[in-house]
Amino acid sequence: MALLTAENIRKIYTGGETPVEAVCDVSISLDKGDFVAIVGPSGCGKSTLLHLCGAMDQPTSGSVQIEGISLSRLNDNDLTRLRRRRIGFVFQFFNLLPTLTVIENVALPLMLDGGDSNKADRQAKELIERVGLSHRTRHFPQQLSGGEMQRVAIARAIVHRPALLIADEPTGNLDSDNGAKILNLLSEINREMAVTILLATHSREIADAASRVIYMRDGRIERIEQSPRLKETTPSVAI
Amino acid sequence: MSLFRQFILRHLLRERLRTCVTTFGIAIGVAVVIAIQLTNASSVHGFEAAIETVSGKTSLEITGPGLGLDEMALADMDWLRQYGQVSPVINGVVFAKVPGGANETLSVLGVDVLHDRSFRDYNILEFAEKRREPSPQEFLSLLIDPHSIIITEKFASKYGLAVGQSLNLTIGDHVRPFVIRGLLRNQGPARTLDGNFALMDIAAAQWAFDRLGRLDRVDVLLRDGVNINTAEQEISRRLKPGLLVQRPARRGQQVEKMVEAFQFNLSALSYIALLVGLFLIYNTVSTSVIARREEIGTLRALGATKRILAGLFLSEALAFAVVGSTAGLILGRLMSFGAVRITTTTVKALYIATAAAPPQLELRHVAVAFGIALPLAFIAAIVPALEASRVSPTTAIRGSGRIELRFRLRYFYLLIPALLFTLALAFSQMGPVNGLPIFGYGASILIVFGAAFLVPTVLYLVSRFTTALLTKLFGVEGRLAIGNLSGAISRISISVAALAVSLSMMVAIAVLIGSFRDTVIYWVGQTLQADLFMRPATRTNIAVDATFSPEVEKLVSEVPGIEAIDQYRNFDIPYQGGLITLGSGNFSSVIQRNYLLFKSPSNWQSVLRESAGKDDAIISESLAIKHNLRVGDSITVLTPKGDSSFRIIAIYYDYASDRGVVILDRAVFNRFFGEQQPTSLNLYLRKGADPDAARDEILAKLGDNYKVLIYTNTALRREILRIFDSTFAITYALEAIAILIAIVGIASTLLALILERRKEISVLRLIGADRRQIRKMTVIEAAILGGVSQCIGIGVGLLLSLVLIYVVNVQSFGWTIQFHIPVWFLVQSTVLILVATALAGVYPANRAAMLKMAAQEEE
Repeated sequence: MALLTAENIRKIYTGGETPVEAVCDVSISLDKGDFVAIVGPSGCGKSTLLHLCGAMDQPTSGSVQIEGISLSRLNDNDLTRLRRRRIGFVFQFFNLLPTLTVIENVALPLMLDGGDSNKADRQAKELIERVGLSHRTRHFPQQLSGGEMQRVAIARAIVHRPALLIADEPTGNLDSDNGAKILNLLSEINREMAVTILLATHSREIADAASRVIYMRDGRIERIEQSPRLKETTPSVAI
Repeated sequence: MSLFRQFILRHLLRERLRTCVTTFGIAIGVAVVIAIQLTNASSVHGFEAAIETVSGKTSLEITGPGLGLDEMALADMDWLRQYGQVSPVINGVVFAKVPGGANETLSVLGVDVLHDRSFRDYNILEFAEKRREPSPQEFLSLLIDPHSIIITEKFASKYGLAVGQSLNLTIGDHVRPFVIRGLLRNQGPARTLDGNFALMDIAAAQWAFDRLGRLDRVDVLLRDGVNINTAEQEISRRLKPGLLVQRPARRGQQVEKMVEAFQFNLSALSYIALLVGLFLIYNTVSTSVIARREEIGTLRALGATKRILAGLFLSEALAFAVVGSTAGLILGRLMSFGAVRITTTTVKALYIATAAAPPQLELRHVAVAFGIALPLAFIAAIVPALEASRVSPTTAIRGSGRIELRFRLRYFYLLIPALLFTLALAFSQMGPVNGLPIFGYGASILIVFGAAFLVPTVLYLVSRFTTALLTKLFGVEGRLAIGNLSGAISRISISVAALAVSLSMMVAIAVLIGSFRDTVIYWVGQTLQADLFMRPATRTNIAVDATFSPEVEKLVSEVPGIEAIDQYRNFDIPYQGGLITLGSGNFSSVIQRNYLLFKSPSNWQSVLRESAGKDDAIISESLAIKHNLRVGDSITVLTPKGDSSFRIIAIYYDYASDRGVVILDRAVFNRFFGEQQPTSLNLYLRKGADPDAARDEILAKLGDNYKVLIYTNTALRREILRIFDSTFAITYALEAIAILIAIVGIASTLLALILERRKEISVLRLIGADRRQIRKMTVIEAAILGGVSQCIGIGVGLLLSLVLIYVVNVQSFGWTIQFHIPVWFLVQSTVLILVATALAGVYPANRAAMLKMAAQEEE
């Protein structure tokens, strides 16, 4: 069974005077352990597609299923619970909570799920070590560098062992050196923890690290390429 | 201007709720100030207007000390006529039993109508309708019968009375029937006390008020060309010792001086509501700046200067102040009706009779409203306006222009409060200015500002040391809430300070009132020794001239079960520009019955015993404090023998009135003032006698012809506390308003914080926080703010209460109050504030919970 299935999804924003079709008739399918990159110019709909796949938003039509559960049947609380337990998020601007320390930021998803604070701290500490920041546990985000902040954000995104990791331009705010480190970290997580990654990027290098690359334009999938790394067509992606 | 319309006005219209809440806050603040101004004006000006209308064209008046003057003295004052016309006057207060059974207060003027017509306008309705003046004979014939009375047309139509009808008047302790002989049109003295005025012939008035052979005063109408200053000086020189010449307005000034402290304190309180309202302006303008950082950045990028942006947000504050002040003026006028009703009880119980209707709004009220609100609004908006001007185009447009997060505890956060508190201590040691506790209030303001500067430090300490506790109590939401708070110390400090200031005033006033109440209860317990307390029906603090008639005294003394009767006589006399009370009591009875609580000396019994027959006096504490008098000093007052000095032998506590009392032993009093009928009687019953039964028996014996008030010991204690509580009702009302505005301020601050943190909240939502958790977090945050404010409020409030009790109260009223902390009230108020602020957090919490997630917003 596919981890994520999106079938004929459309998303129309009606807030302005003229409706805007951000995503138009897109279908994708991701298996467990996939590493898929979405590439396209600004405004092509890649972020919208990420939000729909990440249970942040509901499509105007079509369906999204995660682990066989149709998102359209879930209410706001169910979607929140799903995100809290099965999905992790990484963003361009890190989005750490400035008033929480590194360890508190990382442990937050477990705490929000009502977890035991000692256990949450233990798990958070393990992951902070894994991302190489054990010397920064009690620091606040503003005391960290951009690369460090993104590593904390990644640790937070996987602390609850999600099945799917959504990353929106994760290296977009970093220098190339730090960008490469973050990419390595994401690849490791994908490989070693078998976490499925769906990532949006402008960067060719990042896209090359993925197993498949989806090119989008004007809300539609333009083409799908197998990563040069793998050199094979992926049958699970359908247009 | 067009930028103001496009950028500010449209935004205010879009944010209707916030705009309305802020405008309402300012309006309430201004309204409270205006309402209190109108209320204060209504009591004193009502009284002064009454003096003015009754005085008519009188230039000068001649009075005796307290008891008026002997009628025979007038014969020796024939020389007065060289200055102008002379008219003797009797003035008194009676109760008129109107149809329906109620007793209405009437101010009665007794004059010689033939002499008095040049002094005052008596426009009799019957003649006015015939378009002619009554001849002197016609006028005289109306009042020739001693049972005749002329009332006002307004009073008659209000109670359905007509000429020829009988009207029973209670005068002092007896009831007498009168016949209405005429109606006065609503002109001249008829306007006194809103028409509650009656005219009698002077001889009838002397008889009715038991003042045969006496006059209350002699009015003088100076001839044209006579200089009033010269005349006043010459008359003063020529008058016999014991008589006084003054202008009628002087009585108004004496009263004004009497209520000055009471009204000053009320005004000071009213400004708190306005100040707290202005914190709302700060909140609202800073909310606008936060919510619109990106727009501001865009404007900056497009070429708007820093000055333009600061100007835009300052004009937003001024717009609030203009609309709020206008609404506040109208609201203030409406509120003044309620405020007058509340304060009239106090003013009437303690000071003066006055018509209870607030005056119209005048230009000076408009000037006060705008003159205070506009500059303060400007000051309140300076910080956020400067913040707006400092927004950089790039950071704002990138959306990362988050305000500082970590608060750094700097030395001046401790140094400034320390300086202000030290200065407050110095101020509290200083004496009053013209009888007003200016430095006392200065000390209070310094304490309040000192506390406000301490708020960031307190918030910092709270956020550092309560994280574990709050996480344990409320889980992750508690941790997030305290985290949010620690990240916004600079921003929330002003709101917390505003609420803390309001709460500290509430605590201070609660401690003051609680302490005062306990002191009064103790004092009442010590001094109310008699079983029954009697006074003539019309006698109040304001109608001190009502005395017992010999018949009533005789009837009471015949009631079985009464062991002893203490007589007391008092009246007001002028003293150093104001009025004090002079009374006579029996010193031996004071020693025997122990009904005064002495402050000094400790051996007062032997001192009183030794004073028999000497010109000695006991004075009340308030008189001693206000005029800096001590045991051993002399006090000089005007008696019929001229200025007479009495040696102060003891000072006693008296919380019944703050005007100051001098008590002379009966024998000494009689030597100076002659034998006088008592104004109150204290009855002591034989052991085992039932006070209620004795009271009923006295009333039965007096029948319908006499009207007296008799309180049993228990009832009088109850009555004293009732008056006490009603006196402070307005204080609580003002405080409640200030707290309400401050709580709205907390809600508004939270809303600002949520807008500022909307990205963080949406991230929280994204990583799994559900709406309930966001709500809980925000409500906890609100309650923490309430809790911190209340803790600071209690601490500062206790400090302020020390200033109020030991400085402001002593300098204003001259009372010693025993300090007492009302613990139960503080516990209750803390719970109430926690609940109220948590509830105030519900709306911002809902707004937070409904925020879109970051991802949705970015799209």
